[in-house]
Amino acid sequence: MTTTPFLSIRGVAKRYGAVAAVEDVSLDIAEGEFVTFLGPSGSGKSTTLYVIAGFQGPSVGDVLLRGSSLLRVPSNKRNIGMVFQRYTLFPHLSIADNIAFPLKVRRRSKAEIDARVQAMLRLVRLERYAERMPAQLSGGQQQRVALARALAYDPPLLLMDEPLSALDKKLKEEIQFEIKRIHNETGVTILYVTHDQEEALRLSDRVALFNNGRIEQVGSGRDLYDAPATHFVAGFIGNSNFLPAKVASASGAAFEAVLPDGSRLPGLTGARLAGASLAGAGLKAGDDVAIMVRPERLTITRGDDMAAGLVPATVTATTFLGDVVHVLTRTSWGGEVSIRLPCDGFRGEPPQTADKVRLGWPAGAARIYSAP
Amino acid sequence: MTTVPTPSLAGEVDLSPEPRRLAGLGAVAPALGLLALFFVVPVVALLLRSVLEPQPGLQNYAEVFGSTTYLKVFGNTFLVAGLVTLVTLLLAFPVAWFLAVAPRRWSALLFGVIVLSMWTNLLARTYAWMVLLQGTGIINRMLMQIGLISEPLSLINNLVGVTIGMTYIMLPFMILPLHATIRTLDPTVFQAASLCGASRFQVFRLVFAPLVASGVAAGVLMVFVMSLGYFVTPALLGGTSNMMLAELIAQLVQSLLNWGLAGAAAFILLVVTLAIYAVQFRYFGFGGGEAR
Repeated sequence: MTTTPFLSIRGVAKRYGAVAAVEDVSLDIAEGEFVTFLGPSGSGKSTTLYVIAGFQGPSVGDVLLRGSSLLRVPSNKRNIGMVFQRYTLFPHLSIADNIAFPLKVRRRSKAEIDARVQAMLRLVRLERYAERMPAQLSGGQQQRVALARALAYDPPLLLMDEPLSALDKKLKEEIQFEIKRIHNETGVTILYVTHDQEEALRLSDRVALFNNGRIEQVGSGRDLYDAPATHFVAGFIGNSNFLPAKVASASGAAFEAVLPDGSRLPGLTGARLAGASLAGAGLKAGDDVAIMVRPERLTITRGDDMAAGLVPATVTATTFLGDVVHVLTRTSWGGEVSIRLPCDGFRGEPPQTADKVRLGWPAGAARIYSAP
Repeated sequence: MTTVPTPSLAGEVDLSPEPRRLAGLGAVAPALGLLALFFVVPVVALLLRSVLEPQPGLQNYAEVFGSTTYLKVFGNTFLVAGLVTLVTLLLAFPVAWFLAVAPRRWSALLFGVIVLSMWTNLLARTYAWMVLLQGTGIINRMLMQIGLISEPLSLINNLVGVTIGMTYIMLPFMILPLHATIRTLDPTVFQAASLCGASRFQVFRLVFAPLVASGVAAGVLMVFVMSLGYFVTPALLGGTSNMMLAELIAQLVQSLLNWGLAGAAAFILLVVTLAIYAVQFRYFGFGGGEAR
């Protein structure tokens, strides 16, 4: 507990007049970690990154690298690497000279610069492009050079601000793979900003999910998906169904809810409540809650098995997607619920439009949040 | 994206196929014809007179190069043009920068002022400077009023007056090419340079300066060449002791009716101008590359 965190973001806020871009962000990052700031646009993730880069000072809070504050250090003395969303190679310099730039301003010897440039070109697999000009390279290649330039001076920390958002899907995945490989090879600590959750889950050790200038939850992709801490996290990561309900009775862990159609959900003892116990969350009988179940955790029961289901619904559409069947249903109160069934996940024919079914889920698959 | 043409790329830039270039020729033919008729023909005529009058030979050129008076006029012409170019560049740079980074409303307003000044009659503007700069003019009276000076400064009929008047006239010709270059720059590139470890001065010297070089070259060339042949402003705001070449040529033609000598002086000016263009073309391409 006494060890100093590698990078520590402490209570950072950034306000522009009455508008707060970042409300209150605190996070410790370990050396060598790959942490992604994920969130919708305007959630404060990029602003937090700019504070670390030194392009903006925070209104309050501090950023410490290896225990000492970065705030008084100007950008060019922070020794941080960064890859930007836009292409930022120096258009008048060759690829080799672009990578050499940070070493030249550090007055390294020519021999050292040459060796380092070669090593960096190898790292991003662009050896053959050393003498080209940036305008002669594709967007993906330019970002790889930008990555090489940012790593040339061996910075302890690499910031990446949506570096792949201008690239098409295929190229994106290719370079994500490259970034992952380079992270493994160099061991550099990476802070990565994106609004693409797939990218975040693919790349990171940990994801910090931003919303309205705050971090809603920090954890592995698995944590965020399986145990979303808030209604927002549950809605942002992956697909989710929210059933509106009222607390019927609550005592300790035992919990009963009533859906708008009057059906009771007594079997929720195994349901995990975000936060601690029901009492801890301050829920009492009569409170509005939202019950979240992932589409792939839902089951459909029909005919003889009907009684095993919990929520009556009508099928409105069935789509065959190869590995799964996607079933859309409507509850009696008009709520839409989507279900993903593995192709061998039902008996007989797949559910047809207008079929009366009941929806259910295994114990522990539902999570309960205070209604937003 | 900013693309700075480099000498190594120069041969690859123009990819337009041959037939298209020839098709374009038809459209520019009237303008070319006009130039041939009213520019090339008179110039050739003047050149001929310079070697034919009063008798065939190079005596007019010998006279220009042999006379300290004429050489002094040449020297003064280059001094004024150089000075005006330098001052214009120093004044235009912040303006071009502001135009590129200022909020749209402000840059539109400033643009309006610049263009409006270009549209105002040259003579009117030059006379306005005479009123402002003369011994009993507003500037001198104000300076004396606030006690900064006791005697009026001589701001007119000398190098100071010419430089002030011409710098003012030339400003738009420097601002516009500079602005065209600066606005293509992406500020993120400078942030990237800074994070790479470059100090403010290094960002300026290693990134900003090379990227605006073509715009600076275009503006400097335009202003310097225009200044070399300028007549009205030097004639009204300058003194007899620092005459410029255009004034000399006018005097030779109008007062002395010495067409031969005037032709020689004019032709030398033309050769010098073309030489400067050639240097510019060698290093930056026509008109400073993307600045056009």
